[in-house]
Order: sequence, then structure tokens, then C-alpha cells
Amino acid sequence: MKKIIEIKNLSFYYGKQQILDNISAEFAASAITAITGPSGSGKSTFLMTINRLWEELNGATMSGRVSLFLDHEKLDIYGRDVSLSWLRRKVGMVFQIPNPLPMSIYRNLALPLRMAGLPKENFGQKVETALKQAFLWPEVKDRLRDDARTLSGGQQQRLCIARAMILEPAILLLDEPTSSLDEKAAREIESLLLTLKDQCTQLMVSHDQAQVKRVADEVMEMVAGRMS
Amino acid sequence: MKSHVKRQARGSRALFFSATVVGGVLTLSIFAFMVILGLPLFSTHSLTLLLTQKWAPDQGLYGIFSFICGTCAVVSLSLLVAFPLSLGNAILIHLIAPRRLARFLHQVVKMMTGIPTVIYGFVGIFFLVPLVREWFSRGSGMSILSAALLLALLISPTMILVFLESFAAIPVSHIRALEALGGTRRQKLVHVILPGARTGIMTGLLLASGRALGDTMIALMVAGNATAQPESLLDSVRTLTAHIALVMAADFDSIEFKTIFACGIILYLWTAILTLSLRHLHFNSTKPSHDQSF
Amino acid sequence: MTRVFDFLLYIFAWISGLILVGACGTFMVFLLTQGLPALSFDLIFGSTGMWDALLLKRVVSDGLLPAIVGTFLLVFLVLLTALPFGLGAGIYLAEYAGKRSKSFFSLIFDLLAGVPSIVIGLFGFSLTIFLHKHFTFLTPCLLISALALALLVLPYLIRSTQMALEELPTSLRLTAAALGADQATTIRFVLLPQAAAGIFSGIILAIGRAAEDTAVIMLTGVVVSAGIPRSLFNSYEALPFYIYYMASQFSDQQELQQGFGAALILLAICGLLFTLAWLIRKKITARLLYHH
Repeated sequence: MKKIIEIKNLSFYYGKQQILDNISAEFAASAITAITGPSGSGKSTFLMTINRLWEELNGATMSGRVSLFLDHEKLDIYGRDVSLSWLRRKVGMVFQIPNPLPMSIYRNLALPLRMAGLPKENFGQKVETALKQAFLWPEVKDRLRDDARTLSGGQQQRLCIARAMILEPAILLLDEPTSSLDEKAAREIESLLLTLKDQCTQLMVSHDQAQVKRVADEVMEMVAGRMS
Repeated sequence: MKSHVKRQARGSRALFFSATVVGGVLTLSIFAFMVILGLPLFSTHSLTLLLTQKWAPDQGLYGIFSFICGTCAVVSLSLLVAFPLSLGNAILIHLIAPRRLARFLHQVVKMMTGIPTVIYGFVGIFFLVPLVREWFSRGSGMSILSAALLLALLISPTMILVFLESFAAIPVSHIRALEALGGTRRQKLVHVILPGARTGIMTGLLLASGRALGDTMIALMVAGNATAQPESLLDSVRTLTAHIALVMAADFDSIEFKTIFACGIILYLWTAILTLSLRHLHFNSTKPSHDQSF
Repeated sequence: MTRVFDFLLYIFAWISGLILVGACGTFMVFLLTQGLPALSFDLIFGSTGMWDALLLKRVVSDGLLPAIVGTFLLVFLVLLTALPFGLGAGIYLAEYAGKRSKSFFSLIFDLLAGVPSIVIGLFGFSLTIFLHKHFTFLTPCLLISALALALLVLPYLIRSTQMALEELPTSLRLTAAALGADQATTIRFVLLPQAAAGIFSGIILAIGRAAEDTAVIMLTGVVVSAGIPRSLFNSYEALPFYIYYMASQFSDQQELQQGFGAALILLAICGLLFTLAWLIRKKITARLLYHH
């Protein structure tokens, strides 16, 4: 197994409440690892320690070490000189509730490219590729200027996956990506995730045991802030 | 340099901060300028003389007491007229008028806030002032009454909008509860809406008094600008704001000229007190804060 | 008894409504009947003729054109100077400021919002006298008026920017952060476009204030007759001041009519600027959020 994430002695507090308790774990590259466990066991928080998104919330503290193995190099992501922007472009995230921004479909996808300061000429091509990859192109190609919130829930979530993938991240964090969707939309997302396996490592929080069986290569269980 | 290494944070924060500081410094320097330029006045004239004497430059008297009285008279009379008028309109729009009419009235009120003050003054001179002169067949018609009526028209829209906003913020559930008990419109108003909108009503009053106090053009154009102590509502008066506008033409080094800085200081402090009361009002209530601009 | 009070309330509300609408209606009708007959090309261009005036071939000396141009110039200069500071301070207060500096500066700007315009005019005037000692060419002029008016509208711009940004949901910031945006990038690419409509409301208010204000400009450089200003350091004419001046100094019926005409034109310009700003707001929002 080639590992891509290594976690050592990770503890996490929200105020005085301990959310994660001394977790050490490793995750395999180019695989889908499911993280399961009862709600409130700290699964979402755990995901946010890998792209440091928790730092945007108030009142949280963390100790421990999270390292990534990228380009044959080990990198401590909490190192002093690590750029948050760089990290979050390498580690994409998809949320439980689809969160397209209140702007057009096209702009939603072009946004990460613009924010990364990439040259504008390739935007159209990249957006099209990303939408095709997310099996969304046939449905939206004639309405790219429509508000992204006019899409159905499943379409919105595929848009968010496309948006997270457009900067070609090495790791994709998925926080219960199908729990707000109906069965059919959830299956579409699942098959999309399976096709993305070659391109990036996926960590998926899921409640649904059947879903875990269908997509996950490995399963980790989390109970009360500990991982087994 | 490796790709993951943090780049130097750009200076946007510093830029935005300096914009804020410039605005803040300018605000404080308004007051500083008034004080510095008004100081020579206090070395020759004591504050008590300034605040109590009458205005008679030819006798060497430079008191601004009558202007303070004039301002108080105009502002309080305009509030006295505008408050019930605004409350009535807000009740009409919120509770009584049919929906379409209410929407129309709301639009009219919004539009009225956009009418330039100088136009109020202009129409006032040629329409209201002659009317006041005829009704009371006394004086020129340029009086406290004329100015106050026009000011009432100027400040009512602001008050109505603030009242309406605070009426709308009252939870529907409270109103439904009273309706379920068979409450009439008046009972809804007296028992739910007015108590719930207390902060909003105070806010409207304070905002409106700030606007009336700060307005220059209406008083300057229709209050007549007499320097004597007013004795009736039909007397002509000069407000503090009008005094500043009128004396500007005079000689810079005269004592007369320096009194306008005293007026400036009084106006600045007066509006500051209103602003502080507004903040205090909202600090003590959990309601969302209203627009506090005059 | 209840019925009687209900009825009284009803009557009170309707009478209030009638008084307000009646006063506003009378006001408008009076202005229109007096002003409309005065409206003509001559009112604006005087004896100069429209094309000569518009092509700047000849100077308009007896029409309203210089005053109209002066008012537009003022609005333009005020926005030019106040917008960067208003936006900057609004962004700082909403996105960067700590609790303490936020409450300090918002108190300061609340105070500024309350300062009467004549006091701001007086400040502009005293500043000019003060600076005149060192820069003798500086007298009350278009630039000074514009700067003083910029100070007058600054709190509107700051507050609308701050409120528009603070009202945005946290999820926007989190989404942008997850896509690798730092704070400045988030503000520029996500928050400002979303807040554009709210910020524009403040700009519309500011435009209205700059176009209608008389008290500030009468202390800082406006005059009755100056022609179209040739530089920022010239005195200038403006519509509100012309109206004020005509109200007290008119010498014959014709000048009075011109005053009414000017009042009508000022009202129309305010309406035009409002509509224009409103249209731009719609356009800009659509451009920022939906076009490629």
C-alpha cells in the first residue's frame, strides 16, 4: 500500500469539549476510504483537519501532526511556511449539503480558476472538461448562465464535485456527499466517485453501510473521537 | 521557492485600514477645527455671555442664545407635527389600508425622501409662506410655524420608514395569537405592535430630530432669520445652521465671524448626543439596528 | 367602547394619510404648474443656442447649463473621491477589524453621519483658509466642495458596504476557503460580487445627497455666475444653489419662473440619477454573477 496521508496523535477541541482523541492513522493513495461511525463522533471535524478548514471556525484548537506524501516528498501541512491556498487546492472538499455559490453554473466552475490566478483563455475548455467528467455536461451545456441554484440537488452536488476537481487536487474530502439526496441521485454520485478514483484519493464520511460496501476500498470506524 | 510555500500576505488589510483611519481622523478633525478656530472668541467673550446675551453686533453683543431658542422652537414644533402624522401614516400603511393602496403609499413615502431640501424651501417660500401670512394676517409669514411645517414634511418620510420597519419586525406569531383571541385592530396595535416597536419609534424620533436639527436650507429660506428672541410661533427666527450660512459672508477676523464656530461646536455636540442615544437605545435592545443616518 | 376607539384609530390613520398625500400632492402640483411653463431650451442654454453651447463654442452666460454641468461634475468628483475610502473602510470594518476597533470606528462613523451638512461645509471652508496660508492659490473651489461633500456621503458608503458584507452567510466564506481562497481573494471574487447590490444602494443614496446638497457647497465655492469651471480650482455654479439664490434675490417674474424651472430640472436630475444608478446596479450584479 502506498500511503498518502499520515496522521499522528491528533486531538481536537472545540472550546473545552474534546472532539478527537489522539488519533493516529494512515490512508492509502488512489483509493476510496470510508469513514463511518455514529453521528457526533467527530467525522466531519476529522476531515477538516486535513485541509485545515477548521481554522476558519472560531474557538477550535488542535494538536498532533498531519502529513501528506505528494511528489515523493513528505510534508507536514501544519508546518510554518505551508500556504493555506496551496493546501486547499491540493485537498479539495465536498460538503454534506450541496453548496453552489449564488452565481451562474459557469462562474461556479471558473471561480477556483480565477481565484488561483490562471490565464483566462483556457477557462471555457477546463469548465467543459470538468462538467463532462462529472457527467453534467449534457444536462447543463445550454444553460451555463443560469443560476447554479436552479439545478436539482443531485446536479448541484455533481457541480460541487466538478468544482472541487477542476484544480486537479490530489485528495478529495467528501463529507456525507449523498445524505441530502434521493436514492437515484446518490447512485449517480457514487458511480461518479468510482470513476474519479484514478485521479485522486478520496476520504468519504458516510452513514450508509450499503453505500460503503458499494464504493469503499477501505473502511475506518470512528467512535467518540477515536478511530479503529 | 517551492510551490507550497506561503507567499507574503498582500497589503490589502493595510490599505483598507488606512482608508478607515483617514475617515476617522477627518471626522475628529471637524470638531478640532471648530474648537481651534472658535478659541479666540472665548478669550474675549466668556461662554456664559456667548450663551446668554442677545445678538446685537452694533452694541458689541454677540450672544447666540436667541438662535439656540429658535432652533429648539423650530425643531420641537416640527417634531410635534411630524410625529403623530408619521405614526398615523405608518399605522395606515401597516394595518389599515388595502394592500395595493398601502404599497402605493409606501412608494410615495420612499420617493419623498429623495426630494431635494432646497426645493422644499423654494416651494415653501412661494406657497406656504403667503398662506401663513394670509391665515394669521400678521408679519411676513416667514416664521417658526412655516419652517416647522416644512421640516415636518421633510422628516416625516424618514420617520414613517423607520416605524414601518420596526412594525414589520414584530413576530407574526404574536399578532396571530391576539387575532386568535378575537382582538380588534386597535387592540393589536395597542397590545402588540406599539409595545413591540417601542425601540423603533424612539429611533425614528431621534433620527428625525437629528435631521430637523441639521437642516439648513428650510430654516434659512422660510424662517425669516430675525435675530431677536422669538415670542410667538409667528415670529421670525434664526437657527444655528442658518446663522452659520448667513455670517459666512462677513469679515473673517470679526468676532461676528467667530461665533459661527461656536454654533458649529454646539451643533456637533448636539448631534453627537443624539447619535450616542441612538447607539445606547440599540445596545440595550436585541432588535436589529436601524439605519442611523440623519 | 372598544368600537369607538377602533373607529377613532381608523379616522386618525386615514386623516394622517390624507394630510401627507395632500401635502405632497399640492407640493408637486404647485411645482409643476409653476415650473413647466418655464421649461425651454432657452432656460438651459440662454441666448447662446444649444449647439454652440454643447460644442463649447460660446460660453453660456444667462442659462442654466453651467449650473447643470456643475452639479454633474460635483456628483462625479464626489464619487471619485469618496468611493475608495467608503469601500475600503466598509470592507475593513466588516472583514478585518477586531471587536474593539470595529466598535470604535463604527461610533466615529455614526457621529460623522450625524454631523449637519452646514458644519461639514464650515469645516471645508476653515480647512481652505488654513491651507490658503501655505498654498495661496487655494480658495473655495470645485475641488474643496467635492472633498467636503465626499466627507458628507462617506458614512453612507461605509455603512452600506459594511452591512452588505456582514449580511452574507458564513457558508460563502467557508466554501471559498475550501476552494483555496485566502481572505483577500475571498473578498474580491466571492463576497464583493455578492454584496454589490447592497453597496450600490449606498452609492445611490450618496449620489442623491451630493446632487441635492446646498449647505456644504454654499460655504465652499459655489457662486451664482461662473460659467463652466475650467479647472478644479475654479469656483462653479450648481443647481441647488441657483434655486436658493433665486428664491431670495429674484428681481422680476421671469427670474422667478427660471427658479421654478431650475427646481423642476433638479428634481428631474435627481430622478434620472436614481434610475440610472438603479439600472447600473442590476447590470453590474448580472455581470458579476452570471456572465462568462
